[in-house]
Amino acid sequence: MEKIIEIFKQGIESSKIDKQKICMVSDIPYPSDITDYLGIDFFHTSRGRAIPFATGMKLSNPNLKPVVFIGDFATLGGNHFVHAGRRNMDINVICINKFNYQKIAGEDAPVKFPRIPFLPYASFDEPLNIPHLARSCAGVYVARWTLLHTDKLSESIAESFSKVGFTVIDVISHIPEVLDFYYKHSEEKAGEDTLEVKITPDKKIIVGKFIDRERPTFIDAYNEQLSSVLGDKFIKLE
Amino acid sequence: MKANPNDVFTGIYYIDGDVAAAYGALAAGCKFLGGYPITPSTEAAEAFARKAPYVGAQFIQMEDELGSIASVLGASWAGKKSMTITSGPGYSLMMENIGLGAAMEIPFIIINIQRGGPSTGVPTSTGQADIMQSRWGSNGDYEVIALAPDSPQESFEFTIKAFNLAERYRVPVMLMADECVGHMTEKVVIPEASEIEVEPRRFYKGKKEDYIPYKRDKDLVSPLVRAGEGYKLYITGLTHDEKGYPILNNKSLPDITKATVKNKKSTNQFLVDKIRKNKDDIIELQEQDLEDAEVVIVSYGITSRVAYRAYEQAKKQGIKVGMLRLVTVWPFPDEKITELAKSVKGFVVPEINYGQIVFEVDRCSHGQANTILVPHGGASVHKPEDILGAIKQIATDDKKYDNVIEYTTSLEKLIFKGSLTEIINK
Repeated sequence: MEKIIEIFKQGIESSKIDKQKICMVSDIPYPSDITDYLGIDFFHTSRGRAIPFATGMKLSNPNLKPVVFIGDFATLGGNHFVHAGRRNMDINVICINKFNYQKIAGEDAPVKFPRIPFLPYASFDEPLNIPHLARSCAGVYVARWTLLHTDKLSESIAESFSKVGFTVIDVISHIPEVLDFYYKHSEEKAGEDTLEVKITPDKKIIVGKFIDRERPTFIDAYNEQLSSVLGDKFIKLE
Repeated sequence: MKANPNDVFTGIYYIDGDVAAAYGALAAGCKFLGGYPITPSTEAAEAFARKAPYVGAQFIQMEDELGSIASVLGASWAGKKSMTITSGPGYSLMMENIGLGAAMEIPFIIINIQRGGPSTGVPTSTGQADIMQSRWGSNGDYEVIALAPDSPQESFEFTIKAFNLAERYRVPVMLMADECVGHMTEKVVIPEASEIEVEPRRFYKGKKEDYIPYKRDKDLVSPLVRAGEGYKLYITGLTHDEKGYPILNNKSLPDITKATVKNKKSTNQFLVDKIRKNKDDIIELQEQDLEDAEVVIVSYGITSRVAYRAYEQAKKQGIKVGMLRLVTVWPFPDEKITELAKSVKGFVVPEINYGQIVFEVDRCSHGQANTILVPHGGASVHKPEDILGAIKQIATDDKKYDNVIEYTTSLEKLIFKGSLTEIINK
């Protein structure tokens, strides 16, 4: 967590975004006192509900820039991820992907890596392909890096701040020993088809920026639709 | 502060309780509704969605109730008055985040148009069985406020009241209406904005550097700020201290000291104290002929309207009966019931469930008066005759009972004593 916060800070500083407007929202992973260090607001919500919490914030005050830090989210709150993507809510999601619920005790998670089993008899079911999920949910920016791709990850974070819409960065993260293994077994392939980036034991971990596109956000679509129906009789969301 | 004239749709309407609640929310200054459709509450969200763009409010149909309530919490922290509207099963899904709202001390309201339960129950018919759930639904210690309207007009008024209480005490407030109120169409008078009192959000006014999120005033409530204004907030659902930082185990301390230090620093105690200590200001009751009453009907929501008929009939028959209507169901008026128990023979508690508030009444009477429950399984309201029967039973029976007595309603008599054809013919 400390490492990602450090990279996140670099990302914020190299982007031109107004720091004050960033609201960090998380569910299970929570850092200790980082708000003074980063100069932003931090909300630690209930398990799996960080994305809808951020959705509410964004709609309540469209000037905010909620950044959602989630753990291996795809179970609790997976549906929120899908729908925030569909709506193209202007939220940046940073998934701290450790392949298991490391914060608790290494339980089975749907994004796990089959070779690093915390299960006594090894895990056997399919892991989830997060970049592909993000792409199918129509996210506008999808990338994956390991935590050791420090510069590229912070560049990616800065870039996602410049995007308007639902952005997802899958950060492969783990204890240092294992992380080193991941880093060495990764291969950068920018623009790779997300179908091909599934993590399997016999292939290298594909990292890079996979998707970068434009779509109207929920708020744009709302304003456009209502002005086409109500003309100037309604109060715009801005 | 008076309501904003733009938010108030002044006029005389013929609308149902759901729609009236939506108008109430708008009048109170609600600017965000995150909801998910569920019978019988859908009309409220529909009415809100129709009017929202004109007043700069937002309605979003979230993916589920879990998302709805989470979005409401976020929207409230970002600075807008927020609410969600739901019914039984959706309400159950919201429980975890009601606890989060209580822990973060976020002002928001939930309109629960109760339906028959448990589970999917009877979606299109009434019930009053979520009353205990509204108080105890989430894990851990916290207090909430719950209001129970009995007509569309009250649906409008109580929604405003609910927002005022939520903002005043930074607490989740539940509007526990039911399907009967929600779907009952009646005359509703929406007054001019100048006649509607609205509690504005209590924003912090001091220096930015000096802001402490949970520093309390004499009412144990702390002022709020908006997210994204440079206060560097740290807001968590973990047990936290005044500054909002989680209180984690300090390994260097022995266990007992640790617990003491934790309790002292934690703000948990205030979650209950801020409601309990301000109980007298929060609780609202409607009383009728309580001075010389021998029997008191304690009721809330739609049942209080049915009970009023029984009350009138009992009066005509010369029974000394009084009525106590709980406008605020939670916090419960313990002292009032205890006080009454000293002078009355017994309490009659009709509710559309198999006993919830009746046990609260029994608890507060401390064995001084008998308590009789007039149960109802849901899907319709009581027959006034049943409540009258219970009043008579209490008035004529001089025996002292240790437990709550359950009145055998006319329906039960039919089912258990009559034949099936008899029931069908009736």
